[in-house]
Amino acid sequence: MTPLFSALLDALDDRMKLRSPTRAVANKVFPSNWSFLIGEVATISFVVLVATGIFLTLFYRASIEPVTYTGSNEFFAGVQLPAAFESIIRLGDDIPGGLFVRRVHRAASHLFIASIVLHMLRIILTGAFRKPRELNYHVGIGLLTLALAEGFLGYSLPYDSLAGTGIRVAYSITLSIPYVGENVAFWVFGGEFPSTAIIPRFHALHVFVLPLLISGLIALHVLILVRQKHTQLPKPDVDGHSYIVGKPLWPGQFAESSTLVLWVGGILALTATFIPWSDVTLLGPYVPGEVGNNAQPDWFLFWTDGLLRAVPPIEFTVLGATINTVFIAGALIPGIMFGLLFAYPFIERRFYGLEGEWHVLTNPLDIPLRAAMVMGTFSFVLIASANATNDILSRMTGITIEDLVFIFRAAMLLAPPLLAAGIYVYSARRLKREGARVATNELEAQSRFDPPQITTS
Amino acid sequence: MSTTPDTPAHEAGDQTGDQAGPPRTEDGLIILARTAPEPSRANDTLVIGTAIGAAVFGVAFAVALVVGLPIGWYGSFLALAFFSLGLSIRRYFFDRFPEVEAAELRSARTVEPDRPVSAVAPLARRPLLTRVLLGSAGVFGASLLALVPSLGPKVGETLRSTPWAAGVRLKTTDGEDIRPEDVARGGIVTAWPDGFIGFERAAALVIRLTGQPEPPTVADWVVGPSLVAYSKICTHAGCPVALYRERDDSLYCPCHQSTFDVKRGCEPIFGPAARALPQLPLGVDEDGFLVALGDFEGLVGPSFG
Repeated sequence: MTPLFSALLDALDDRMKLRSPTRAVANKVFPSNWSFLIGEVATISFVVLVATGIFLTLFYRASIEPVTYTGSNEFFAGVQLPAAFESIIRLGDDIPGGLFVRRVHRAASHLFIASIVLHMLRIILTGAFRKPRELNYHVGIGLLTLALAEGFLGYSLPYDSLAGTGIRVAYSITLSIPYVGENVAFWVFGGEFPSTAIIPRFHALHVFVLPLLISGLIALHVLILVRQKHTQLPKPDVDGHSYIVGKPLWPGQFAESSTLVLWVGGILALTATFIPWSDVTLLGPYVPGEVGNNAQPDWFLFWTDGLLRAVPPIEFTVLGATINTVFIAGALIPGIMFGLLFAYPFIERRFYGLEGEWHVLTNPLDIPLRAAMVMGTFSFVLIASANATNDILSRMTGITIEDLVFIFRAAMLLAPPLLAAGIYVYSARRLKREGARVATNELEAQSRFDPPQITTS
Repeated sequence: MSTTPDTPAHEAGDQTGDQAGPPRTEDGLIILARTAPEPSRANDTLVIGTAIGAAVFGVAFAVALVVGLPIGWYGSFLALAFFSLGLSIRRYFFDRFPEVEAAELRSARTVEPDRPVSAVAPLARRPLLTRVLLGSAGVFGASLLALVPSLGPKVGETLRSTPWAAGVRLKTTDGEDIRPEDVARGGIVTAWPDGFIGFERAAALVIRLTGQPEPPTVADWVVGPSLVAYSKICTHAGCPVALYRERDDSLYCPCHQSTFDVKRGCEPIFGPAARALPQLPLGVDEDGFLVALGDFEGLVGPSFG
C-alpha cells in the first residue's frame, strides 16, 4: 500500500474508529459455490440498470402528446409520433451510444429478472427459506414482485404498439376487480385508457418509486443475510449447523465478486452489441384501436398472458359483483400462486413438524412435499408460459389454434398435479429405500448425510 | 505452477467433541486450508498483458464511439475491455494472496431473553392511554387515504356509454365520411364517432359480410343487405379485434384469440371472450353517409363491477 493511501486510511480510522468493524466485515466467510453467486448477478444487473437508466431518463420524454419526428430515421421522417416513442427513436438514431445504452438496459433487465428467478429456485429447492430465514425469503418475494412490476413498466414506456396493448390488458385486469375495479383503474391509470396520465405516471414509478423501493429491499435483504449468515451446502466433515465454511470476504470473495461484475458487464456489452433487444422501430408507435400480430408481453409475464388465453369464457354475477375470466386469469390465479410461494415455508414446517433452526441445505428429493410443490408450480407456470405463444406455435406447426388451446388447457390442468404426485411418490420411495424419513431437526438431517461422524463418536 | 498446502483440510467444529483441538485462527478467522502459489513469470505476464489490454480496449471503445464507428465496433471493444480487466484482476489476486478456506462460527444468542432491552423501565400506569393513543394514531393514518380518490377522475357512468348517438356520422381514422358503397364485399373499415377519432372505447368496425346476416343480428341496424357495424374492442381484455377472416365472416383478436361470428351478431365462438361484441345501430343519413342510430346496446369492452 502506498504511504499516502495508508496515511489517509489511518486519518480516517483515527476519526471514525473503522478498524474493528472493517476487520469483522473482511473476515466474513462466504460459501464457495457458484449457485451462491446468482443473487450477486441480480444485484450487479440492478446497478447496471440504475447506471444506464440514469442516462436514458435524460433523453426520454414522458408524454404521449403527438410531435413531428425530424430526426435522421428515414422511415419516420415527418411522421406524427407520440413524444415518448419519438424520443426513443431519436435516442437510438441520433445520440452516439444511445442505442447501445438502451440495449444494455434491456439486456440487464432480462438478466435481472432471470437471475432473481434462478436465485429463488435455488433458495426453494435447497430449503434456504427455513427458520430462521423466513423473513428474508419474504423480502425476496417482495423483490421479485417489484422486479416484475418494474419490467412491465419499462416495457410500457417506449409506447410502441406492443406497449400500448400491454397497458390495455393491465388496465382491463385492474378493471375486473370486483366492486372497486373501475375506481382502482381510474386511480392507477389517471382516468380511462389511454389517458394522457399513464406514461408520466409509469415514468415516475419506473425511474423513481420502484427503484427506491428495490434499493431499500436489496439493502434489507443483504443486512438480514449478514445478520443471519449464509446457509451451508452439506459437506463431509463439516458441521454446517454451527459453522460456515468458505472464502473470507477479503481477499477470496472480493476477487470472486469483483471479477463477476466484469464478466456480467462484458456479457451485457456483448449481447447489446449483437442482439437488437427491443427494436421498437420495427413495431411502430401505439395507435388507439390498432394491434399487431404476435401481441405478447415480455417472457417473464408469458405465464399470465398464457392464462388469459387459456381460461375459458366465464362471466357471472354474485352478490352484485361481476366475476369474469380476466379477473380469474389475470388476478386470482397469479394471486394464488404468489400466496402459495409466500406461505410455503410455513406449510413445510407444519406438514413435517420441523423443529429448531436450519442452516444446512438439503436435496429437494429428501423432502417429498418440497419436490412436489416446486414441480407442480413451476410446470404450471412453464406450460402457461408456453401457451402465450400458441398463435406462433399454431402458425409454425399447422395445428389449429382451437386444438392447441385445448391441448394447453388439458396440460395445465393435468400435468402439474401428475408431475407433482409423481415426484412425491418417487422421492418418498427413495427415502424409504434408504431407510430414512424426513428429518424433523437439523441434527437428525446431518446424521443421515454424514453417518460415520456420529457412529464413531 | 505448484501450490503447497500448509495444513491439511480438517473438520471444523467436529460434532464428536473438542479432542481434535481448537482450529487455527487468524484475526478471528478459522483457517481450514491455505494454499500459497509460487511466484510465476507466466502469471505476471498474463496480469500485465490483460491489464494493458483492458486499457487499450477501453480507449478503443472511446475512440470508436466518438468518431462514430458502428455499434458493432465500440460494443465489442467495451465487452473485450470488461473481459480483459476481469481476467487481470482474477490472476492478480491469485498471485497476491494465498487461497484460504476458512470457517466462521454462527453466533449464539447473546442477550438473555428475559432481560429487558431498555435500561429504563416504564412506570406502572393504566393501559387505557396506550390503547387510545395507538387506536387514534391508526384512525389518523387511515384518514390520509382520503387523498387516493384524487388520483383519478370520478368514474360515475363514464364507462357505460360512448360518444355514439343518433345522427353521429361515422368517420375513418383519417377523418373521412363513409358511404355504404365505400365498403367492398368482405371489406372492413375502422370507424370513429365524428369528433372522437382515436377515442379508443368508441372504435367500431364496419363490415360488408360475404353472406346474409342471421339472428341474433338486429336486422334494423343492417344497411343494405349485408353492411353491419360492431364494437372493435374485445369483450375479453379490451384489445382491438383487428383481424377479419373472410372465409367464415369472423373477427379474431390477436391478443388472446377470442373469435366472434360476425354473421350471427358477433357472438363469441372461440377463446376466452364471454360476451358478443355490441352491435352499432347503423343507418344512412339524407346525404348518403353512414350514421349511428344510437349508442351501442350493452357494455363495450371488458366487463367490470
